[in-house]
Amino acid sequence: MNDSDNVKFRLNNSELWGGLIGFGLGIFVIRAGLKLKLGTVNDPGSGYVLFYTGILICLFAGTIIVTALTEGGPTFGSRWANARWTKPAIVIACLVAFALALDPLGFLLSSIPLVLLLMRLIDPVRWELAIPVSVLVPAGMWWLLKHALGIQLPSGMFGIG
Amino acid sequence: MDTLLNVAHGFGVALAPINLLYCFIGVFIGTLVGVLPGIGPISAMSLLLPVTLSGTPESGIIMMAGIYYGSMYGGSTTSILVNIPGEAASVVTCIDGHEMAKQGRAGPALGISAFGSFFAGTFALIALMLVAPKLASVAIAFGPAEYFSLMVLGLVVLTFLTQGSMAKALLMACIGVVLGLVGLDSITAQPRLTFGRLELIDGIGLVPVVMGLFGVAEVLINTEQAIRRDIINAKITHLLPSKQDWQASAGPMGRGTILGFFLGILPGGGAVVASFASYALEKRLSKTPERFGNGAIEGVAGPEAANNAAAGGAFIPLMTLGIPPNVVMALLLGAFVIHGLQPGPLMITQNAGLFWGIVASMYIGNLMLLVLNLPMIGMWVQLLRLPYNILFPLIILFTIIGVYCSSNNVFDVYVMIAFGVIGYFMRKLGYEPAPLVLAFVLGPMLENNLRKSLILSQGDLSTFVTRPISAACLIFAVALLIGPLLPALRKKRELVALDEGA
Repeated sequence: MNDSDNVKFRLNNSELWGGLIGFGLGIFVIRAGLKLKLGTVNDPGSGYVLFYTGILICLFAGTIIVTALTEGGPTFGSRWANARWTKPAIVIACLVAFALALDPLGFLLSSIPLVLLLMRLIDPVRWELAIPVSVLVPAGMWWLLKHALGIQLPSGMFGIG
Repeated sequence: MDTLLNVAHGFGVALAPINLLYCFIGVFIGTLVGVLPGIGPISAMSLLLPVTLSGTPESGIIMMAGIYYGSMYGGSTTSILVNIPGEAASVVTCIDGHEMAKQGRAGPALGISAFGSFFAGTFALIALMLVAPKLASVAIAFGPAEYFSLMVLGLVVLTFLTQGSMAKALLMACIGVVLGLVGLDSITAQPRLTFGRLELIDGIGLVPVVMGLFGVAEVLINTEQAIRRDIINAKITHLLPSKQDWQASAGPMGRGTILGFFLGILPGGGAVVASFASYALEKRLSKTPERFGNGAIEGVAGPEAANNAAAGGAFIPLMTLGIPPNVVMALLLGAFVIHGLQPGPLMITQNAGLFWGIVASMYIGNLMLLVLNLPMIGMWVQLLRLPYNILFPLIILFTIIGVYCSSNNVFDVYVMIAFGVIGYFMRKLGYEPAPLVLAFVLGPMLENNLRKSLILSQGDLSTFVTRPISAACLIFAVALLIGPLLPALRKKRELVALDEGA
């Protein structure tokens, strides 16, 4: 790691942000534990373990924050150096779009475009291979699940599948 | 005599045609995911977890177990021929295995790896048959305090062995516990962290969490880099090792087997730790350590035996105590629970057919793997040529289908995608998912045993240190927690720290 990739009191110190997110989560868990009631040590309540786990989360997150501030940590940029960061971003976008489409459109109408897009947008597969694979595999899986295992995948508002 | 009768009974169960078929499917898929980089046994097992519902508990668990030890065999093929570990336990095999392949000795490397795996697998099974019933009879005396401390130890060992900062690993374990507690409180039936969503009343599903953190996140990481494969193109011949190869490998194989078996039993340990430890041991014992890294067959035989022995040993804590020692065993526990079974000290007596059937099937599976991995090696080499840009969309599709089938609920698909994205950022920021998943599974058990032991002891916290087994576990856990603060131990930890989840 270059010196410029290791920062201490800077907003792009990735270690610092990791610790801060953990700390925030710890506070949330402590509050949830308190809300659920701690009970007593001889009759612990529903929030007992949550509360103490929240304290531990804050403790470990605090350690990470202190280490990030004293020893520094890699910048966000260096974490993604030499990586094609747009590729996972595209996959995530495709998955989110799929998640939104799954219920209204059903499995077949949402999964065929998903597979096709993933094949074409990351490291492009030839159209003559991408189209048959993206149609036949989801359709084949749907058929197998429906007829062999009796599992009904979502059919959506058009009732396809 | 009893053991022999039980083994015979187990073979009766395992040799039933349907169980043989499931065993074959398991080891075949195991070899397949072992061979293919980018998909490991954890993803494959979580993908197939719903399939186990369609058959008997024996068939489903036989198949799941087959995937696990099958992947240990298959992983070595990719390591030797492509220099990419098919799964994490085969990382070490790349070092000398691929060097041997480059020197035209891919055949003996693959051969010794398969025979070493078979030998170790067989030993582990015999030891499992002998040790498990004895340990189960001891475990009956375990109370909630012992179970609690043992689970704490398991989590601490795993965080100790996880790559990178221990604070991060412990943070992940704590988050895993919290996620495991989502849903109804098992004692008071009060909903916790459900945010008013009915889907969360039963808790977050194991399958979407694992598929997201390991399956989807792995794909996201892999798409960042174009995977370059340098496959050995020469024809693979002489799979049977020579006399010299056998002589050089016998010792490492034996030592790797014993070391791997005991490391497999330890909570938090597993096949990955075993293979690294065996490699380090062989290098240290060798009169010519400089050959290691340059194609030493001992560097293949020892670790391959160790990871297979560990895979067998890992069944012991699950079968006898009901505590999964690693993520793979946590998934197997999930398979048991799906069928309404609870592994633990009573399972061996109450479900003798199931226990001995699984053990016997593992032996049969080992034989199948020998056939799958030696005469059929050419088929696996062809499979290695399947481009990742075709493979990964299909992995994504299968994970979606697997998650949906596990619960017939679209919400779980959303959970998987969310955990996939979280898992990706976690890995980028150096947070390992393995402690989170193990803690997620152990969380509810951990809480239950803690609360039970506090109620039974009327709030006396000394119950955890006055009971010898509990005290020993906690002392060991504390030692591991403060260990990394000492420079010498920190250095040692960095040497053995591993990426369990890869």
